[in-house]
Amino acid sequence: MADFTRRLPVYLLLDCSGSMMGEPIEAVRQGVKALLSELRGDPQALETAYLSVITFDSQARQIIPLTELMSFKEPEINAGGATALGGALNVLIDCVNSEVRKSTETQKGDWRPLVFILTDGSPTDVETFREAAQRIKGMKAANIIACAAGSNANTSYLKEITESVLMMNTLSAGDMAQFFAWVSGSIKMSSKTLDAKPGAPIELPPPPQGFVVVP
Amino acid sequence: MSQIAEATLMDGRKIQYVIKDNPPRGGMKYTYFAPDKSYVVQFFNNPEVTNDPNLRKRIEAIIGKYNPTLSEASGGAKGNTEGMAKYFSSKFCWPTAIVTQPEFGIVCPAYPSNYFFPENATIIPELSKDLKGKDKKSNWFTSGKLRRFLNPNELGDFRSMLQMSISLARSIRRMHQAGLAHSDLSCNNVLVDPTTGSCVVIDIDSLVVPGVYPPEVIGTGGYIAPEVLETLPLPFGDPQRKLPCASTDLHSMAVLIYEYLLLRHPLRGPKSYSEDPNLDDFLCMGPKALFIEDPKDQSNRPRGLEVTIKDLGPELEKLFIRAFVDGLHNPNERPTALEWEKALVKTWDLLHPCENPNCGAKWFVLHDPSNPVCPFCGHRAKKENIVRLHLKSQVRGRQGQWIPAGEINVYHNMPLFRWHLFSNCFPDEKADRSMLAYVVKYQGQWLLVNHDVRGMTSPGGSLVPTGQAVLLKDGAVFRASTEDKGLLIEVTSGR
Repeated sequence: MADFTRRLPVYLLLDCSGSMMGEPIEAVRQGVKALLSELRGDPQALETAYLSVITFDSQARQIIPLTELMSFKEPEINAGGATALGGALNVLIDCVNSEVRKSTETQKGDWRPLVFILTDGSPTDVETFREAAQRIKGMKAANIIACAAGSNANTSYLKEITESVLMMNTLSAGDMAQFFAWVSGSIKMSSKTLDAKPGAPIELPPPPQGFVVVP
Repeated sequence: MSQIAEATLMDGRKIQYVIKDNPPRGGMKYTYFAPDKSYVVQFFNNPEVTNDPNLRKRIEAIIGKYNPTLSEASGGAKGNTEGMAKYFSSKFCWPTAIVTQPEFGIVCPAYPSNYFFPENATIIPELSKDLKGKDKKSNWFTSGKLRRFLNPNELGDFRSMLQMSISLARSIRRMHQAGLAHSDLSCNNVLVDPTTGSCVVIDIDSLVVPGVYPPEVIGTGGYIAPEVLETLPLPFGDPQRKLPCASTDLHSMAVLIYEYLLLRHPLRGPKSYSEDPNLDDFLCMGPKALFIEDPKDQSNRPRGLEVTIKDLGPELEKLFIRAFVDGLHNPNERPTALEWEKALVKTWDLLHPCENPNCGAKWFVLHDPSNPVCPFCGHRAKKENIVRLHLKSQVRGRQGQWIPAGEINVYHNMPLFRWHLFSNCFPDEKADRSMLAYVVKYQGQWLLVNHDVRGMTSPGGSLVPTGQAVLLKDGAVFRASTEDKGLLIEVTSGR
């Protein structure tokens, strides 16, 4: 029998620029690992969530295409280079367009994708960024949550992409772990409440302690 | 990182709990465990809601005078005996106390360990690690995709799923009988253990309590009654807005029972109403909801439905039609929890063990002895193994007049209880659960052995003392007991 469960596409956009070298990038690796483990332990998430990873340094690329959690292999993440956040947004747009299923007569379309952006700086490809941010805001095809990590992260750029911007003060392993725990909480919550409130904005758990929601 | 904290209860007692980072969090509350894990302390995600005097009144009533897990003598529900309280203690995770310090919260018993995944619960080692110690939410066992990952010995079989259904119907019947409604029954709030056929209803704090302003819960996607979803856009307090109540529980419960027995959702089919997934789901679960097995409108019927409600026997088929066709958009038509409990128990008595050793379901409902085919694997039962007892009870005041009182398919080593042999007994929380007789296949013959019944007689009319047996031959008629309310049993076999 066919499966009529919708997929929940989740895109992680991870900053792998040179400033992330060392402890921060290791914390990101651990975070992705923990995220995967958390989500696999939750029946609704395991059933509906599909995960993709897009990294950006001097360039942006999708290192893991949208994949079912059980087939997801932890990506190799390394830091170095600039912060092509604009390029990453363009990659995101392409991926959403090609990977997210639309409803057809024979198939239930996917839920609106959830996108988490983590960056510790500001885009170095400002022109590309501005253009891509405009396109993304216009698309309204995804729920985007951006997190500015550490004191060098620039929240005003992120505000150009989405209303939902979080700020965490440090790039410490502890803060990073909390961020990924919150991401998994958000995905779990979305996979449960998706169909409860038509048209309403998605509900996410309160951000971890020490994190600030940027107004 | 964890540290021990102390909570003060409403009655002044102090208890300990362990504060951990990222505690397990539901839609309303988050949970900390006791140092020995014997109870949990739960606080609200949004502490402001606890300033609502209605919430406090509601929880006080739930813990006290509406509590079915506490005897009346100990301050629990009216009419509740120690025995009944004990029975329902294993069926509900009922709050036991209110926390006042450091902030408003509740104390609940921890679930028994069989509701947590053990080691090696799946066939994939890393997934088993992720699952170990997590609670057994029912969709692990009802979703085709997730079942494939689980270790086969975690899955139970059709009989244990039916047993879980009976347990759920009984628990909800008990709640409704007291005027309470759960208001958020779902795969997350009923934990299951298919290996033992048991389930436990949790998240008891947002119950609808008579005379107290209702809680502002909506429910969980997939389990919300269509009328609640449909009127969700209206503001809370609007007279047209439908809030969760007993009749919406009856929808959620029917969805759960359907999922347990048929391992799929009753409303999720191919039909689509909008390209927008949110709007489509709203319509499919709300105003346009349509049963995938609706006999008249087949537009939402998935292709290749193999096992259907017809295979569950006439009792359950009728109730599913009432729940998902007549009552889907008409809450008053939905079968009550008591009707479900009775129909499920009757269906239990029609179970037949599938003779195919590779059948995953292991049991099926043999409702039509003329066509004894397991719907799950297609295996046909041998005629000689189909033995049915037709139970008859005496019409009051009319000697010799008997009316049908039920049917039982027997199998090797089947225990028989008071409710199989006497007309004045129903297998609920009050019933005596000691075995009175059993059926065995011995040297090719079917025997009903008297274990502890007084007044059992043979077809010839002579007394069958304990330890002796009645031969279950086709056409045999005998008294299960000649004592008051003892049933008459007619045997059909091998036909």
